[in-house]
Amino acid sequence: MTRGKLVLGIIGALLALVATVRIAQWLVGGEYRTPQRADEAQTTPRDQGLADERAADEKADQARPYVPPDYRPFPKIGSRVAVWVLAQLHLLFAAFVLAVPLFAFIIELIGYVTGDKRYDKLAYEFTKLLSAAFSLTATFGAFLTFALVALYPKFMNYLMEVFSPTFLPYVLLFFFEAAFLYSYYYGWGKFSPRVHLFLGLMLNLVGTAIMFIANAWLTFMMSPAGVSEKGALLSLGDAFMNYTWMPINIHRMIANVAFGGSIAGAYAAFKYLQAKTDDERAHYDWMGYIGNFVAISAFLPLPFAGYWLASEIYAFSQTMGLTMMGGAFSWLFIIQAALIGNLFLAANYYLWLGMGRIEGVQNYQKFIKYLLIAIALCFAVWATPRSILASVSEVRAMGGSTHPVLGYLGVMSAKNTAVNILILSTFMSFLLFRRTGKEATVTWRRAGNLAQQAIFFGAAAIVIFYGIYGYFVEARVRIKFSIPQVLSVLAAMALITVIDVFLYRGARRTGEVRWGRLPRISQYTLIFIAVSFTWLMGLMGYVRSGLRQHWHVYGVMRDQSVDAFTPTLGFATQVVSVTVLVFFALLGFVFWIASLAGDHGHGDTEEAA
Amino acid sequence: MTLRVPLLFRIAALVAGTTALYAYIGQLVPQKEVQPPQVIELPDDLTTQDMIPIGAQIFQGKGLCSTCHTIGKGGSAGLRFPDLDGIGSRAATRIEGLSDVEYLGQSLYEPDVFVVPGFNPGMPVMNKPPLELTDQEILAVIAYLQSLGGAPSVTMQTELRWAAGGS
Repeated sequence: MTRGKLVLGIIGALLALVATVRIAQWLVGGEYRTPQRADEAQTTPRDQGLADERAADEKADQARPYVPPDYRPFPKIGSRVAVWVLAQLHLLFAAFVLAVPLFAFIIELIGYVTGDKRYDKLAYEFTKLLSAAFSLTATFGAFLTFALVALYPKFMNYLMEVFSPTFLPYVLLFFFEAAFLYSYYYGWGKFSPRVHLFLGLMLNLVGTAIMFIANAWLTFMMSPAGVSEKGALLSLGDAFMNYTWMPINIHRMIANVAFGGSIAGAYAAFKYLQAKTDDERAHYDWMGYIGNFVAISAFLPLPFAGYWLASEIYAFSQTMGLTMMGGAFSWLFIIQAALIGNLFLAANYYLWLGMGRIEGVQNYQKFIKYLLIAIALCFAVWATPRSILASVSEVRAMGGSTHPVLGYLGVMSAKNTAVNILILSTFMSFLLFRRTGKEATVTWRRAGNLAQQAIFFGAAAIVIFYGIYGYFVEARVRIKFSIPQVLSVLAAMALITVIDVFLYRGARRTGEVRWGRLPRISQYTLIFIAVSFTWLMGLMGYVRSGLRQHWHVYGVMRDQSVDAFTPTLGFATQVVSVTVLVFFALLGFVFWIASLAGDHGHGDTEEAA
Repeated sequence: MTLRVPLLFRIAALVAGTTALYAYIGQLVPQKEVQPPQVIELPDDLTTQDMIPIGAQIFQGKGLCSTCHTIGKGGSAGLRFPDLDGIGSRAATRIEGLSDVEYLGQSLYEPDVFVVPGFNPGMPVMNKPPLELTDQEILAVIAYLQSLGGAPSVTMQTELRWAAGGS
């Protein structure tokens, strides 16, 4: 047989197969066809059967009762992660929008009081970032609300039962926020300074009120009050002003300022790196310095606000407090220590680099190495875990999961001491920076310096004394030691600052500040600080919310969804990281919009610098 | 000739690198997924000896008892909550007129009524949210606590006055 015949045979077989299938389809398709000569109105038994089935289905549909769903799924990533990312993005932009007006207003006020136009320009430069950020805040807020209503309808229904009277004031305040923000921004240079300052003040007051209302909703989920054991509303006032409401208000306000300052510093760093002229560099160097100053100044008291929040959490529920510090979330605070340690190191590094732009820095540079040693040691202590991940043989060798020596550094006595010394050291870096290039001329300068040193070392001694003493007393005594530690550090910072202000009043300039003469690495440090702050906000937002574990409203309304479990810290940090990356991508858009905004009424950058 | 990387790429790399660093640190710590606690169904015909391992399981897990209480750490200095080593023998002597089972029951249902000297109040009510142990689960925990230095006597039929339907 030739190859040609074989191919023809195969083709013929295939055609025969196709023809057979087609004929079979035609015959089957005509199986129940209405006879061609039958009356059109006459139905076959099959048609009747189908019609009856349809009618039965319709009747069943009509009789079906409405069953409201408790949850709805979200594709791919699940409802919880979707709401988590949206909430975090909304909160990051909201924090920025609330914080920037606060220090823009203060800077504008300084400019008004001193008559220095540079401050007015700087305040405007900060405010330029607000317009696009405000729109993104509102967009993510709406997105979050719709997501919650769609994905968690039962829970949202309950929150509405409790908090619906607060919704209208919230919306009205939001309207006023928009009105004040846009009139503050677009009215720059068009109103009298006092009217403009009034707009800035109102913008801050309204923004704070909005945050306080929103905080009531989320803190109620965490530490519910004013409801019965079964969740029925007894007192809206108590539900609103629950255990953690005011500590969260204060903690958020301070954290927002720290975060906002760092983002504004990152913007200045970005513009510095883009700058073409020395004058531009000088201006954005100064702006970056102010942004970082705001961030770190707010960051220093933040741990104390955190203590208060933690103590209120314990007061509300020991179970929740212990879940936070000793249970599922205890390792999260080691991650937090790594972040905060990095922030302190980076902030100090930036300050030390900044001292280099001032003539006559040599007098103070010798202290930097001691500060670095103190900061690095404190960082190491803070990041030491109580129990260590170890193999069975390592655990046996140590005699337990706690290291025989380093284990002593993993307890609160050591950590409280470390964080307080860390704060004091950073404060000293600020002080050195402030003094560089100046020489006190007052007659009591020697006594003033001695007094400052005595206060500094006295505070450090108190902190270390209570840190060591804490190892020898009962828990109920030890837990109260953080109060004198915190108070001594706060008092020392306040007293030293007051003395310094008077000490350097009318000081002689020994060297000029050469703004714009910083190495480029300093600007990348500012961006690193901003990313670290953002990541820290995401992490702490997670722990605050995650502490509720399998409860929508702690102890009142249980989470019955598939996402009711508490995820691993590894997973949580991945979600936080993705959120931070999305945030910075959007922030790039905000910076771009701000750079398009121009410089209404302030002349060009060169002139201002 | 040096390769000049555009500024935006450098900043993007810094942001991504910093974020990746922190995400990596997050992978280094212990990874534990915590599931919501489930009600443990306990049949009425369990013996006291059967109840002990179940009580131990609740002690370590759902009841979160081991988050605060240690067993065999000795001495109250350094501890935030009492060590429970030997509680089975001490329980009958804590409060006059209360048997060991009653004392342990009171500690679980009404923990603030008696606080061990040297410690602060802080024990949650075990049958209320957020822990919500059932009366049967609490009996099993009592059996386990009695076994720590004492002779377990509680049964599934023991009626505690704090329990639903208790006398």
